[in-house]
Amino acid sequence: MTALADILDRIPTRKSERWKFTNLPARLKKLTLEQGTLGWSGNVDILNKTAPGADKYADTALWDLNLQNTKDCRFIDGDAAIDVHAQAGKWYSPYLRVNIKKGQQATVIEKQSGDKSYWKNQVVDIVLEEGAILNHIRFQDEATDGIFTNFTHVTCAKDARYNAFTLTRGDGLSRNQIHVELQGPGADATIYGVNLLFGKQHADTTITVEHQAPNCTSNQFIRSVLAGESRGVFQGKVHVHRIAQKTDGYQLSNALLLSPLAEMDTKPELEIYADDVKCSHGATTGQLDEEPLFYMQSRGIPRPQARMLLIQAFLAELVDKIGDQTVKPEAEQAIEEWLHDHAGA
Amino acid sequence: MIEIKNLHASVDGTEILKGIDLVIEPGTVHAIMGPNGSGKSTLAYVLAGREDYEITDGDILFGGKSILELAPEERAAAGLFLAFQYPVEIPGVQMTTFLKTALNAIRKKRGEEELDAIGFLKLMKSTCDKLGIGEDMMKRPVNVGFSGGEKKRNEALQMAMLAPSFAVLDETDSGLDIDALKVVANGVNAMRAPERSFLVITHYQRLLDYIEPDTVHVLARGKIMKTGGPELAKELEEKGYAEFLSEAA
Ligand SMILES: Nc1ncnc2c1ncn2[C@@H]1O[C@H](COP(=O)(O)OP(=O)(O)O)[C@@H](O)[C@H]1O
Ligand SMILES: [Mg+2]
Repeated sequence: MTALADILDRIPTRKSERWKFTNLPARLKKLTLEQGTLGWSGNVDILNKTAPGADKYADTALWDLNLQNTKDCRFIDGDAAIDVHAQAGKWYSPYLRVNIKKGQQATVIEKQSGDKSYWKNQVVDIVLEEGAILNHIRFQDEATDGIFTNFTHVTCAKDARYNAFTLTRGDGLSRNQIHVELQGPGADATIYGVNLLFGKQHADTTITVEHQAPNCTSNQFIRSVLAGESRGVFQGKVHVHRIAQKTDGYQLSNALLLSPLAEMDTKPELEIYADDVKCSHGATTGQLDEEPLFYMQSRGIPRPQARMLLIQAFLAELVDKIGDQTVKPEAEQAIEEWLHDHAGA
Repeated sequence: MIEIKNLHASVDGTEILKGIDLVIEPGTVHAIMGPNGSGKSTLAYVLAGREDYEITDGDILFGGKSILELAPEERAAAGLFLAFQYPVEIPGVQMTTFLKTALNAIRKKRGEEELDAIGFLKLMKSTCDKLGIGEDMMKRPVNVGFSGGEKKRNEALQMAMLAPSFAVLDETDSGLDIDALKVVANGVNAMRAPERSFLVITHYQRLLDYIEPDTVHVLARGKIMKTGGPELAKELEEKGYAEFLSEAA
């Protein structure tokens, strides 16, 4: 069993370019954790022993760390529901390997949770073959002292589609790092996320989409609602390779700060080497408008309820895009519960 | 009954209302006319409880009690309504959700039973019919993409649904063609009742041809300069506001 203290020096610090806004070692140092296992039965020995894309994007330290310590792995090739629940005082290295075969479609729903303090350093390694479609849903309901770091790597062959939706409404600290390689023409990556944070929570979404073939599309769309002293981070990158003509690549982060102490850091980036592309990126950070609040109050709607309606409207633009009709009501319900507890004032 | 006593209000340290006295008895319609910038909307907002304004002196009594400490939603529940000069757009919030939330919040505060979906839709439909409002408008986000006329009709609709005992209409006539004006005026007239009063703010006399006021006031430079009967409105129509604009007036 490896003690957390023995590996702390391998954890990326804020000196690394893509860890500027998230201080993982500082949070981990406060915890005393033992290595734990989730009891998954997959054979760890057949996993690839190197992180993909390591030569180009060197921020794979957490992936490597997972591989050196993996005790739990699962192999998925169709619909799956996965509960990853951490016990107090443990750290884990779960590994999910998802391979969707040519022309197949699957929905994978992850539920992430845990008790008290813990660390889950998860890897999700996804390969989508030609024409495959994966709907990847994650409900992240971590404990207030829980740490969840996740590295999702996706390769999309010709016409494959990766649709991700993550709802984060709790964590101590989370880092959701996604790296998509669109390798075949006509491939698409659509990555949506809603972050609802309060207290001292910290949620970091860091995405790289590499357009490596022509006629691919990608769309990153994150909406965050930040209460208390919480902090959100969005770093999005679209890298269009020279060969990737007719690329459509979009990134958008909109954050709503409910408190003067909340903070959002955003860094959208475009790196374009082809000439016939449509790419855009945008980021906004704002507060609730007083005008509509007053208008609603003047109609008798109590201020907390007026705030809730405005925040719901802000999130609905994203939630309405969720295609999966079983996931959407669950997301709406989760959002409503969170707003009841945290939208007031 | 609404009593405004020596009301002074400022924005960012600039005094806009400079001592307003006004008593509006139940069952009456008062009109306030005045040049642009005289403080009409300020008075309306202060009545509704908007926070940007500082009340530096005076009081507003509604049903004998001061409402200065009440939040806008508490004033609404007490029976006050403001039809905005510039109705606010709320993207993403559907008209039906907005109205149902408002109506039930008010009913709850008043200790009345909340309306269920069917009861609400019935009331909404009949009110829409009366005001010539198509039901497709109720499926759109609040005021978003509404024409000027639609926005004003929407204010009238909300007033009819919430059935206040005191309603302030801030230039509800501006931007309306004559047909829409008649619809809105009929809406107000249909609501006239012994226990209900209105304060109709307007720049032009035209609206007062359709909503006949009991009393007309001229507001200029933050003060009520003159008070009279309906004939005062006609007089203003002919002479304009020039006599109230100079310091000497
Ligand atoms: N929120 C505000 N901030 C600064 N000045 C304001 C504000 N509201 C009103 N004023 C000023 O107060 C005066 C009266 O405005 P208003 O009440 O809108 O007049 P009216 O409705 O009679 O045209 C104007 O000089 C206007 O510029
Ligand atoms: Mg005005």
